[in-house]
Amino acid sequence: MSDALTLAQQGWPAAFPAVTLAHYLFVSAAMFTVGLIGFLTRRNLIIMFLCTELMFQAAGIALVAFGRYHLDFSGQTFVIFILTVAAAEAAMALALVVLLFRKRETLSADEWTEMKG
Amino acid sequence: MLHQALHLLPTLAAAPPAHADSGAAATPGGQLLMLVPALCVLAALFSALSGPLKIRSKIPGYFSVACLAGAFVAVLLTYLGHESGVKIAHGFEWITFKWGDGPGQALTGNFAFYVDSLTLLWMLFVTGLGALIALYSVEYMADDVGLGYARYFFAFNIFVLSMSCLVMADNLLLLFLGWEGVGLCSYLLIGYFYKKPVAVAAAKKAFIVNRIGDLGLVLGLLATFVAFGTLGYDPLFAMIRAGVDAKGAPIADSWVTDVIPLLLMAGAFGKSAQVFFYVWLPDAMEGPTPVSALIHAATMVTAGVFLIARMYPLYAADDDHMALSLVAWCGAITALWSATIGMSIFDIKRVMGYSTISQLGYMFAGLGLLAPTGAAFHTLTHAFFKATLFLAVGAVMHGFGGQLDLRRLSGVARMRGFGIVGLAMLVGSLNLSGVPGTAGFFSKDMILAQGFSTPASMIEAPQAIAWVLLLTAGLTAYYTFRAFFRVFTGPVEYLPGDDEHLLEHGRHPKGTTLAEWHKQHGHGHGHDHAHTELTGVAARRAHGRKDFDPTTEEFDPHPPGWAINASLVICALLAIAAAALYFVKTPHAEEGGWVGGMIERSSAAFHSPHEFNLLGITSHSAMYLVSALVGLTGIAVAAFLHAPKGWQGLFLGSRDTAATSRADALTPRLGRVARWARAKWYVDELYDWFLVKPLRGIAYVSSWIDKLLVDGLVDAAGALPARVGRVLRPSQSGVLHGYAAGMAGGVALVLLLVLIVLN
Amino acid sequence: MPRNCTLVPSFFFFQRHVRATEQLRSGGGRRAALRGLKVGVRVSILTASGGPVGPSLRSRRPTPPVDLLTNPIVLYLVIALGAVGVCMALPRRGVSPQLVGGIIAAVAGGLIVLVLSLRAARQGGPDAAPNLFFYVFAAVALGAALRVITHPRPVYAALYFILTVLASAGLFLLLSAEFMAFALIIIYAGAIIITYLFVIMLATQAPEAGKEHLLAEYDTVSREPIAATTAGFVVLGVLTAMLLGGGAQLPPAPAADPSQTRLAQLPRKIEQSLRDAGCLKGGGALARSSLGDPVINWSDRTVQIEGPDGSRTWAPMPDGLELSNVEGLGFSLLEDHPGSIEIAGVILLMAMLGAVVLSRKQVEHDEELKRRRAHQLADAGGAVR
Repeated sequence: MSDALTLAQQGWPAAFPAVTLAHYLFVSAAMFTVGLIGFLTRRNLIIMFLCTELMFQAAGIALVAFGRYHLDFSGQTFVIFILTVAAAEAAMALALVVLLFRKRETLSADEWTEMKG
Repeated sequence: MLHQALHLLPTLAAAPPAHADSGAAATPGGQLLMLVPALCVLAALFSALSGPLKIRSKIPGYFSVACLAGAFVAVLLTYLGHESGVKIAHGFEWITFKWGDGPGQALTGNFAFYVDSLTLLWMLFVTGLGALIALYSVEYMADDVGLGYARYFFAFNIFVLSMSCLVMADNLLLLFLGWEGVGLCSYLLIGYFYKKPVAVAAAKKAFIVNRIGDLGLVLGLLATFVAFGTLGYDPLFAMIRAGVDAKGAPIADSWVTDVIPLLLMAGAFGKSAQVFFYVWLPDAMEGPTPVSALIHAATMVTAGVFLIARMYPLYAADDDHMALSLVAWCGAITALWSATIGMSIFDIKRVMGYSTISQLGYMFAGLGLLAPTGAAFHTLTHAFFKATLFLAVGAVMHGFGGQLDLRRLSGVARMRGFGIVGLAMLVGSLNLSGVPGTAGFFSKDMILAQGFSTPASMIEAPQAIAWVLLLTAGLTAYYTFRAFFRVFTGPVEYLPGDDEHLLEHGRHPKGTTLAEWHKQHGHGHGHDHAHTELTGVAARRAHGRKDFDPTTEEFDPHPPGWAINASLVICALLAIAAAALYFVKTPHAEEGGWVGGMIERSSAAFHSPHEFNLLGITSHSAMYLVSALVGLTGIAVAAFLHAPKGWQGLFLGSRDTAATSRADALTPRLGRVARWARAKWYVDELYDWFLVKPLRGIAYVSSWIDKLLVDGLVDAAGALPARVGRVLRPSQSGVLHGYAAGMAGGVALVLLLVLIVLN
Repeated sequence: MPRNCTLVPSFFFFQRHVRATEQLRSGGGRRAALRGLKVGVRVSILTASGGPVGPSLRSRRPTPPVDLLTNPIVLYLVIALGAVGVCMALPRRGVSPQLVGGIIAAVAGGLIVLVLSLRAARQGGPDAAPNLFFYVFAAVALGAALRVITHPRPVYAALYFILTVLASAGLFLLLSAEFMAFALIIIYAGAIIITYLFVIMLATQAPEAGKEHLLAEYDTVSREPIAATTAGFVVLGVLTAMLLGGGAQLPPAPAADPSQTRLAQLPRKIEQSLRDAGCLKGGGALARSSLGDPVINWSDRTVQIEGPDGSRTWAPMPDGLELSNVEGLGFSLLEDHPGSIEIAGVILLMAMLGAVVLSRKQVEHDEELKRRRAHQLADAGGAVR
């Protein structure tokens, strides 16, 4: 436990074992998969967007872990952009959901099949 | 080509004598003959343009007659100025394929004319008869004035053009072009009544059968080029005279003298309707009768005779005369074969068609029996008397609504307006039968006599051929006068044509109402063809009478007008006068008269040995007697069986109706033979079974392969996008999850691939 | 870099076998082959523990059970087990075994982490395994994520998502990304999810507890759970395979932090640090170059200081003198990616505008007003006519 705190406080350790990187990446992949499955299975539009946020989250974890491995701050910078895009997406998507809900009084994604062009 | 020819016309006299193949024997000259193709082209162009220009009169016809007459005059003038030797009229360089400088490395086919007496002999009757029959056609085709007229005379003039090129060509290539040109015109004119399925089928048959023969001709040409390195007559004959080919090797006992003559013979037999190829000619009688007269009796079908006569040096160069023996035997067999058919059928035009085949067989037999003079003479006389016969038959058809059945016509010669026709028919029949004193008698006699006198060492069994020909002469006399007696003598009796004619071809006149008929009728002449303007059968039965009721009233025959009569008279006179040619003494030949002189001076000259001499009688004087006897016997038999009572039937006949004769009682006794002969020995059926049906089967299989395999592949290629689209369409359902699933599955797949491939 | 497991799925390519045997020979590892795994593809699994590992590891022979556990096949089986669990946990019609599924998924997740840890311990020594907090945060994050996609009530799903975000922030902390950890909590948990919650509450009328049957059908029944889980876990399996195989291809981690050179741009921080460390005595100060930068020798981490008398001496940098996370992030953001900040700003602006335009409500005209307008128009038309 103290190990973790010192790791956080002391900044970069001299070396970062690749195996540990694999742990974080596995968590990231698993979270992404869960988000993907959720997006595929859930039919509530809002939950589907939540699942995309999950996938964003997973990507963020992977980026930060890689940045940590390479001792580079770009990973974290990218996460900032992910946050930006996620926020923008949430705003737009929720606005759209509100609009759609006003039209049909439902949040089911199955109700909207005529937008195939 | 046309442009160049016209351009050259004014400067013909000044044309450069440059000729690639000019040898020692040939000299430049005869440029006047360039007028012949030029005039033909002019007439053809005018005829063709008269259609679009909406000239609805006989002007194109008369213009063609004038042009062809001009061509005849040009030929005549050239003949009068012609001495002996060969002149080459050089038109222009036409076809040149050159792939090297050595000998035999350039294929040249110049538009140049080889003017010798053989050429002139042929050209005289081609252009002369062309002009005469054009005049005849002016009236005969009067119903089709307008587009049909333009079409007819265009093809007619192009035919004369092609025939001139064929005959006058300076090389085998130009001959071949003319050969194909006459084939094409023959096709066009046989199929002139293109609304009639029979005519179209006949045209196709003629064209296809000719193609088979032409294959032989083309191969012969190629073999000639391979052997001699040139297709020009002049160097060719020089080499053959020297007995060597292009490499200097002797040709006497080589493949050159065996293969090339046989190949050329195949082409000649195709065009001249011999042995296996004759089947197209009877069917070609579906064309207008003037066409039958000119193309399928007088000129085009003699192209094969001309080809062999032209290439006679090559045929004669063979030691054992194998090709000539074959020519003689095929000619003789064809002559007998078609004569038997001519004896049994009832369609007078087809009788004439088979008679043509038979007489062409005579000509080939003459060539094969080393009597080119006799063959050429017979060609000439046959051209005139067969044209006369055809024109006379055509006049009958013209007058009787296309009636061709000799059982339904009788006493035509005694009807008003048909006297000249009857006389012309008589002249033609006498010639064809070889009655002593007629031109046909002398020309046939030359061949027969030569047959008996040719030694068996030169030709295979010449005497047997001569006997066959003699028998054929008797049969010819019989069937000729059978037709004459049945149709032109006896009680006046007739049934209008087309009813029978159409029934024969599976069409029935019923279905045309009277009102329709009244509307459509006009001054329509009954013809042997489906009318192009007046459709319907009743119209053809109208025959110029407004109150004619096709069901009850009498049919009104339509006598020929002046143009037909004039042509008939001229033709008949020429046929008679041709006999005089036999007695013309020329310094060039011992015998054969004028024609002998012409042939002796040409490349076809052959000095045949005379060995037959029995009791001081030469073969010719013996043949005079024998063939006269045979011919008169044939006529007598015909008179006995078919002629009416009284002087008309030479006091031998007893026929008193059109439909029946003594032969009717005789025919059943012959049993199957008569039936088979009437069915033309089932040759058409045989070909149908052994050639057409298998070929059609192959074509059927091929068509199914095409439909199933080729089209299937093409269709599959076309249907593939649609199928793929149908498969993929559900993916574009608009359901968000579908797209998401697609993306997820795609990602999984791509990652899997990356893992497998990159690892 | 320890070479861990190499997964060599191979078609029947001779070359691949040659390479695999070479790998075997050079690494001296053993071979556990499994044949006939999938459609026409033979996957030969090579567990090679070779590579530049420490001498301590080489001397120790791994025990068979551990060896078995670190086999990738086991990993894939566990992933498949997780897939079954997730599939069962997804909401469906009728009686849904959500709890069982969750337990199975949790067991699977635990097994995976165990396997990974065992592998880490085997290959990098006991220190290579991540610490306990990682397991806690990872378990919470994944468990909450699973609950996000399985909970039939959208509000609860959003709340579980907050939990995921919090656990992720914990992971970020472990990765010494403190700023990002807190930014994540503030932005995600504080802003974005709150927006979601607003919309959820706006759009759905959640039934009381115990009346779950009143929930909307599209919330309680998931679509194609088996197919979706299969696809998802194929992705996970492939990613994991890449993870295990790709470790060898990673460039080695840098020994020193390259971004520390940016300390040179913070002279006052250095000065303060020196002063705190007692290196600057009296009126001493950080020596500056002619451009005003501190003079630092990075190879032995010494910095030039200028005494009050103007004499320049080298002093070692204090130990704690590091570029902090926020400072490093700031440099990275503003120096390395300035254009991206602009783009991010534009994206946010556009999203704001878009949200406003999209959710704007159509203002209904007063009916009376409309009627009057119509009358006026009709009258005007009549006058003209």
